[in-house]
Amino acid sequence: MTPDIFQAIADPSRREILHLLSHQTLTINELAENFDMSRPAVSKHVKVLSQSGFITIRDIGRERYCLLSQEGFQQLQAWVSYFDKFWQHKLKKLETVLNNKSNPA
Amino acid sequence: MHSIRHTYFYQQSPAEVWAYLTESELLAQWLMPNDFRAEAGHEFTFRTRPMPAFGFDGIVYCKVVEIVPHKRLAYTWKGGPGPGEITLDTLVEWELREKDHGTELLLRHSGFQERNSMMFGIMDGGWLKNMGEIADLLNKAKV
Repeated sequence: MTPDIFQAIADPSRREILHLLSHQTLTINELAENFDMSRPAVSKHVKVLSQSGFITIRDIGRERYCLLSQEGFQQLQAWVSYFDKFWQHKLKKLETVLNNKSNPA
Repeated sequence: MHSIRHTYFYQQSPAEVWAYLTESELLAQWLMPNDFRAEAGHEFTFRTRPMPAFGFDGIVYCKVVEIVPHKRLAYTWKGGPGPGEITLDTLVEWELREKDHGTELLLRHSGFQERNSMMFGIMDGGWLKNMGEIADLLNKAKV
């Protein structure tokens, strides 16, 4: 099952990984140097971020590089857009409810 | 867009609109089923359909943080994929202004950026920068 984007970024280590990758593309080994946790633990976080669309892993030469991907960030915008439409709809509904109350048919 | 703002005009008085914002049954008629009470510090929930694709279980956890009768109301608006897991931590603010014998209602839903400010920053600049870097690395690898 694909981890959802909010679970993916709820973890501080994963946010730190994204933060590091926003400055430069890094290999998993280079990423691991920034953390106290083991390389497999870093790999696991990288996998979650990759599955949720925040990063892409590419093999270049002998190294595995992690780079930011656009997909996850667009989903985040989708959440804001969702609530924008939600409120538009609800405010209009409030108008209908208020008008029906004032002028019973 | 980091916060949502809407302004809507209603023909009814602020007192009437206020009732629909703060009386549980009236609020349920247009928003969602809830156990709201007009008391600062009161914790309540809104219930709606779950949206698994958004990691949302259908329960909005709220707490009244500000209440000025007929004028202002603010509550936290939190949600997530399951009990105790909060991944959406936002604030909903309402402001009522008497205008043209009716009410101008202002809504602000904010806080999306607090948790995710870094995300928006990455989106602005990091993505393009990364694309440039990966192009360099690919070129180097070919040599």
